[in-house]
Amino acid sequence: TQVSAIFRDAQRTTAGHRKLVINLRKIQEACCYEPTSKKKGNTGAEDFDEEQFTYEFARCVLRVMPVKKSESVGERSIRFIGLFLRHANEKDNELLPENEQDAGVMMETPSTRLTTHVMNTILPLLTSKEKFVRYRSTQLISHVINSLEAIDDDLFQLLRHGLLKRIHDKEAMVRVQAVLGLGRLAGNEADGEAEDSDDDDSGAGLLQRLLDVLQNDPSADVRRSLLVNLPILPNTLPFLLERARDQDPATRRALYSRLLPALGDFRHLSLSMREKLLRWGLRDRDENVRKAAGKLFRERWIEDCAGTAETEEGEPAEAVAGEAKPPSFDGLLELLERIDVVNSGVENGVALEAMKGFWEGRPDYRDAVTFDDNFWDTLTAEAVFMARSFNDFCRNEGNGKFEALIEEKLPEVTKVAFYLQRYITVLVEALKRVAQQEVGEDEEEEDTVEQEFIVEQLLHIARTLDYSDEAGRRKMFALLRQSLSVPDLPEEVTKLTVEVLRGICSPDAAGEREFCSVVLESVADVHDTVMDEPASEDADESFHSARSEVSGDTTPTKSGKDSQRTEEENQEKAIREIMVNMKCLHIVQCMLENVEGNLQQNVDLVAMLNNLVVPAVRSHEAPVRERGLLCLGLCSLLDKSLAEENLTLFMHFFSKGHSALQITALQILTDILNTHGAHLLDTNPTLLKVYLKALKSGTKAPEVQAAATVAIAKLMLGRVIADSSTAIDDLLKTLVVLYFDPSSAHNQGVRQTLSYFLPVFSFSRKENQDRMRKVACDALHKLFEVQETMDDEGEAEIEMVSITTIGAHLIDWTDPRKCYGNGIQLGAGGDEAATKKAVNGDVHLEFARDILEKLASGIGREEKKLLAPMLAKLHISPASTPSLLKEVYDEVSIAIDDKLIADATGRN
Amino acid sequence: PASASKTRKEKELFEIDFSSPLSTTLAEVIYTPASSNTVISLPKKDWKSKTRNLLPDDKHFNSKQLLRLFLKPKARMGSRRTGFGTKTSSFGQRKEEDVPEG
Repeated sequence: TQVSAIFRDAQRTTAGHRKLVINLRKIQEACCYEPTSKKKGNTGAEDFDEEQFTYEFARCVLRVMPVKKSESVGERSIRFIGLFLRHANEKDNELLPENEQDAGVMMETPSTRLTTHVMNTILPLLTSKEKFVRYRSTQLISHVINSLEAIDDDLFQLLRHGLLKRIHDKEAMVRVQAVLGLGRLAGNEADGEAEDSDDDDSGAGLLQRLLDVLQNDPSADVRRSLLVNLPILPNTLPFLLERARDQDPATRRALYSRLLPALGDFRHLSLSMREKLLRWGLRDRDENVRKAAGKLFRERWIEDCAGTAETEEGEPAEAVAGEAKPPSFDGLLELLERIDVVNSGVENGVALEAMKGFWEGRPDYRDAVTFDDNFWDTLTAEAVFMARSFNDFCRNEGNGKFEALIEEKLPEVTKVAFYLQRYITVLVEALKRVAQQEVGEDEEEEDTVEQEFIVEQLLHIARTLDYSDEAGRRKMFALLRQSLSVPDLPEEVTKLTVEVLRGICSPDAAGEREFCSVVLESVADVHDTVMDEPASEDADESFHSARSEVSGDTTPTKSGKDSQRTEEENQEKAIREIMVNMKCLHIVQCMLENVEGNLQQNVDLVAMLNNLVVPAVRSHEAPVRERGLLCLGLCSLLDKSLAEENLTLFMHFFSKGHSALQITALQILTDILNTHGAHLLDTNPTLLKVYLKALKSGTKAPEVQAAATVAIAKLMLGRVIADSSTAIDDLLKTLVVLYFDPSSAHNQGVRQTLSYFLPVFSFSRKENQDRMRKVACDALHKLFEVQETMDDEGEAEIEMVSITTIGAHLIDWTDPRKCYGNGIQLGAGGDEAATKKAVNGDVHLEFARDILEKLASGIGREEKKLLAPMLAKLHISPASTPSLLKEVYDEVSIAIDDKLIADATGRN
Repeated sequence: PASASKTRKEKELFEIDFSSPLSTTLAEVIYTPASSNTVISLPKKDWKSKTRNLLPDDKHFNSKQLLRLFLKPKARMGSRRTGFGTKTSSFGQRKEEDVPEG
């Protein structure tokens, strides 16, 4: 009939849907209503009644049900059905008399009857055996729910119930559809029916179940559909935002590119949430997520702030909705404030990345920004950060094409020095006020945090400046030298000051000497200033450390007043001494981080070592001792014999120290090996034990284990632990086992380092790959044992990857085709497949031999079962050494003959 | 969703035949209900995910870190020892292109 003809046309393209809907409506009217206007007798449908129309309609709907998901005709048909039902219901309502329309009760009309009939026909199909029928029926019901404005109450409950069952369907595609329909319902129910909580699983119940699915559904498609379809409510928002860390990149991206822009003003989010979202997004492992997050920040969040900034200025804000507004720097400053730049703008904070993307993606702001005198006179944390990030961007990005902008917009060295001096003074005075203040007045304290931040940012700018201008250079140099002598200068400011100083001095050896002597002068100043304070009458002999030697002139005057001193005074004095020592050591540490020359050739450094660092290492005060250790480590990097002399000392700190100290010791040792060569490892067998022990400290001190993993990865990739080293096999094997060992499952530091290191190590050199092959069987055996003991104890808590998977990893890592240097050059292109074929496959042949050997060695049945299939997965290349090929072939044959392995794995 | 490409190739122009009566096989497909709820449902154990399908914290380990000293993050490893240094650094750069972070 005509109905089926319309359906036939509707499945072909959505373009004609409007017209077809109107045509179908005409037929429906003709069937259902008394012929009001006889003149349009040409439909020919007057002979049929409503029941027949409904039947025919439902019949057509049914035909859509078995259509596979991949067929777009199904999709189009369902959209058509939804469109028609919507249209028909609207038309019916228009036909209703006015008074009945507004009664608030749903009137029964031919279209509601049709809807009910169709839905009742489809409902049983929700539990069909055939997955596509379930898919289409769920899709239809969800679509209809989303198309219609109102649905009969009884029917509604049925649909809802039916869909709820499908959120746990076996097929992800069905769950996606169920969730699409229910998301809308959850929104409606949460909106107005809080009072309707009498029946058990409605309202909040539905929402709760959907949130549950959002967190737990194994299919990312389902989670993503929910993410963009659930209503955004105070009680759903935390669950939605949590998806910023979803395992699926596309879901994370959907959050940044769809949900968050739709969310409205980002300032409604809590401060910590903004920071987290920004950090997670901008540092996501997936590039597309990073892009989406960057876009969100520079296009949406800025507009939220720019919008208010404008209205406050009394301009019409709504005038240009949708269009890009002109740059608003008040808006940008507010944006920086809203992401708490004082905290997120520090080193490793996310604000720097955010602003880098901002300057990159907003040329309008880049061009419009100005930094005039007034700007520098009235710096705030936000303003200075804007300047600093702009400076960084122009210098580091775009291959120098933005450097002209610096010339144009930022002041020259002398001026920067002038402002820096000004803000350092402000900071120092603020710090003094705080020191004199009673505790508890935190308003002032906050002030110094901002002042500190301002100075830090200015120093960051100063670090990048060009000091060829002699006048500017001198001014800056004097200023920094002077500031460094201020004992109260905060640590981060100190560190940056030292760095800028190093940059000002010339990079050669003479410059380094100048730099050292200037910094050490400041250290002496700091020492004297504090020790000469009126409160400290004289130095005390219990103060073992370097105090006087640095300045060289304070002779301790032992007085007999000890007895008169109260305990309190003594304590205070001791504390002050520790503080001075810590401060001096910190400056020295910052300095040493920027020194490269030989220690012995620099008399200043030698004096410092003997007078400050060595006594500190011997100090009874743990903090002083530990910082002294770090400085001694830094010195050791500059002098090989010093390093050798103190190796035992560093190891001692490792074995006796708390975990933070252990990490420091490990890092010192690793840096020493990196700098002075790994023969130290071979000549000191205990050193290797340190590393092995550190790797095994997982349960006690996971962070030590993680530090050790990074350390060894460094040493091995840098080929410091070279092929000749006796330690290398042991270490590599331990690392492989550690990677798969369930005990490291919660140690993400270890796992992520290794997931980077192991393949990179194997694929980067042939020798490495062969080494990996060498330890593979042993590691596998070890892991097999681990698994067995785990099974025995029945710990289901942590899951371990199967031995088969581990084997596959090992085979992959030793795959000769993936190794760099085996003819696989990046960008070589062309004959890639051919070169791959021609790769010498000895590694895998050797691996095969290892496995065969293992099989013959009397290991358990279970382990054999796991090992044997690995043979089949090895790549046997015709380009391998012929003799080896033959040898392995013989061994395989023998193994088959001896029934070591069940089937001949057809090989050449 | 995997079956997509296969069917597409076989019958490029799939259309629903709305006019003909419902064949028995098709009716069977449509009307046969599942034998039990469990057959068409996700096993209960998959209803809950231990990780809530979330990623662990990223440690952002990368090759740049490998080339730095722990104590002197500014100085590149081996920068003073020329022979060794040049080797390491070219080695490192290649790796960076080779292997994605994480």
